Amino acid sequence: MTAKTGSSRVAISSFSGKGKLWIGLLVALMAAGIAAWGYQVTTGLIATGMRNVFSWGLYIMMFVLFVGLSAGGLIISSAPKFFHSHRYEGFARLGVLVSLACIIVAGLLILPDIGRPGRIYQFFTSPDFRSPMVWDFGIVLLYGLLNLWYLWLLTRRDLAARGSALALGFKDTEAGRERDRTLMFWTAAVALPTAVALHSVTGWIFATQVGRGDWFSPLVAPVFIAKALVSGLGLLLVVSVLADRYTNFEVDHEELTSLGKILGIFLAFHVVYLLAAERLPHAWADHFEFWAIMSNFLIGDSVYFWLWTVVGGAVPLAMLALPPLRKRVSVIFTASVLAVVGTMFEGIRLVFTGYEVANIDSAPGISLGGEYTGITTDIWATAGAYTPTLVEIAVTLGIIAFGAFIVTLGLKYVPIQRVDAEPSYATDGGKQDQ
Amino acid sequence: MTKHGLVIDQERCIGCQACAVSCKQENNVPMGQFWNRVLTEGGEKMDTPSGGYPEDGGSGSLDMQYQPTACQHCENAPCVKVCPVNATYTRDDGIVEIDYDKCIGCRYCMAACPYNARVFNWDEPEHMPEEGTGDVEARPQGVVEKCTFCSHRVDEGLDPACVVNCPADARIFGDLDDESSTVSKYIDKYETDQLLEDRGTDPNTYYISGEMSPGRPQTSDKMESELDDVSPWSDGDDDVPSEEADSVGGESSGSSHSVEGGEIPYATPAKSGGDD
Repeated sequence: MTAKTGSSRVAISSFSGKGKLWIGLLVALMAAGIAAWGYQVTTGLIATGMRNVFSWGLYIMMFVLFVGLSAGGLIISSAPKFFHSHRYEGFARLGVLVSLACIIVAGLLILPDIGRPGRIYQFFTSPDFRSPMVWDFGIVLLYGLLNLWYLWLLTRRDLAARGSALALGFKDTEAGRERDRTLMFWTAAVALPTAVALHSVTGWIFATQVGRGDWFSPLVAPVFIAKALVSGLGLLLVVSVLADRYTNFEVDHEELTSLGKILGIFLAFHVVYLLAAERLPHAWADHFEFWAIMSNFLIGDSVYFWLWTVVGGAVPLAMLALPPLRKRVSVIFTASVLAVVGTMFEGIRLVFTGYEVANIDSAPGISLGGEYTGITTDIWATAGAYTPTLVEIAVTLGIIAFGAFIVTLGLKYVPIQRVDAEPSYATDGGKQDQ
Repeated sequence: MTKHGLVIDQERCIGCQACAVSCKQENNVPMGQFWNRVLTEGGEKMDTPSGGYPEDGGSGSLDMQYQPTACQHCENAPCVKVCPVNATYTRDDGIVEIDYDKCIGCRYCMAACPYNARVFNWDEPEHMPEEGTGDVEARPQGVVEKCTFCSHRVDEGLDPACVVNCPADARIFGDLDDESSTVSKYIDKYETDQLLEDRGTDPNTYYISGEMSPGRPQTSDKMESELDDVSPWSDGDDDVPSEEADSVGGESSGSSHSVEGGEIPYATPAKSGGDD
């Protein structure tokens, strides 16, 4: 049994020319992001496209996206463990690594949105536990730590076997591996409800607000769960295919196809069912004629809606549903990319529906608080408008690059798969019932 | 307990913007920002009515009203509940206020406020003149600010600047918990609305429309509760024009219009500004 030692695989043994170019690109993006944030801190949030009516923008939209993205990996790796299954074992560690990177990106995206980042310690010294943002702060922190612990737990025996300092002194023994398997079960048992809580609480940040149109809906939390499943699994598939292509990481084609099918089911549930469930009651109540009800039910009002439902919903769903297509890696990859992009537009649409319309929109409206340039400047607005600035885009890309950097480092230093994964199914499979 | 509230008589309001300007001056509100805005309920633009002229076959439905709008000081204030760091809080006297030292600038309160009453200092606030105006310290870049019912004046027994400076006496400030206060009596007697009542925020700001009230009774800068028995217009028995108001409101009179000579409590004397 000790033969198992050393049978793990690191995805990147050393960086080739291309690898160094990739690292260089990420470092450049991070540097640009830091510079942009520095500029924003000195000039104020005036450097962004946000103003008094439309007071949350790209940072919050991307925060919502990355909280969702952090779901997939952890669920794909912990759900089978909870049921003592070895299904999708090959994706487990990569999944948790991607989840960890995404939740770090999500947490960091809050920082540039804060007007006075220096005061963020107030979360600890003066919290109001009525605030959904305090709940979210807690759950994001907990979720991040849980991912870190889980990734280490999944890999520490292999790290020890490879003599890595990251094992933190743990030894690779059979008894230790046995004990870790029990710990993995319990971690999975905690991880699943924590993931549900994370996405629900993030949804409730919006769903509790009476003043922002469609935000105030009990359906927001379930929708956040659904879109976390869609985008999280989508991202895991995208990263897996890329890692398979560019590193030593190996994707089991049969499992990839199977996960692709699950993504299709998630998409159907999210984009078709939940969206319909959300729209029909309003369309029905607001209109009288049959066709008026139907057209309001089926036809969206903004470009984000169509980008989400068609490009990010119907198209990938069709790709994953048609038997001649759905087994191709290129199809699964494209469908997954579209699912992630669609979810991104859903988050963008959510923020827009909250800020586009002012509840009280009589003239002259609301003072925007933009740069005061003179007596002729029109400082008023009766509706919200928003376009992100280059500063916001640079900061956001910098933070996302940091996430990609974490994944890359993980692929380099963490044993991401077991080489004997396939034969071990049989041997380990016999132990499940112990 | 005291619960400060504001009654705005939209029938008295003449849309002169004095409340908006005196608020800006008194509270040192930065350029490009307003805590208090006078909105036009009517046409698309400010100071324009909706409807058509009554000539040449027009509908004759011209209609216009002003709605001065600032923080509504809600009882169930969403902004207080969302603030993660207790920077926005409700005082014991019902005023919703911000501790600018605590505010981290997350702007969740702006998302929560259905009235868009809050403004954020997107850059270093600019004042004109540079040293600022009024009696309130300037707020830094990166915090949210809004109307405080002039809590610095209220603490000294003075009515808010917008109330004192209203030339139409359309703004009445007082204690909603005191049944004998003018605000309580007006809310009881006249047709009053709270803005976006359906949202359940229960604002402490009420709007009179329909029948015109006699307006703010006192000529002094002082709050009604500070006036004791010294009435500015009567023989000193009552600060509040309750008798007059009662007789005014009597439907039996058959008068659909509320303003009659006797009901106007006084001729507006010159008032001192809000900067004293």
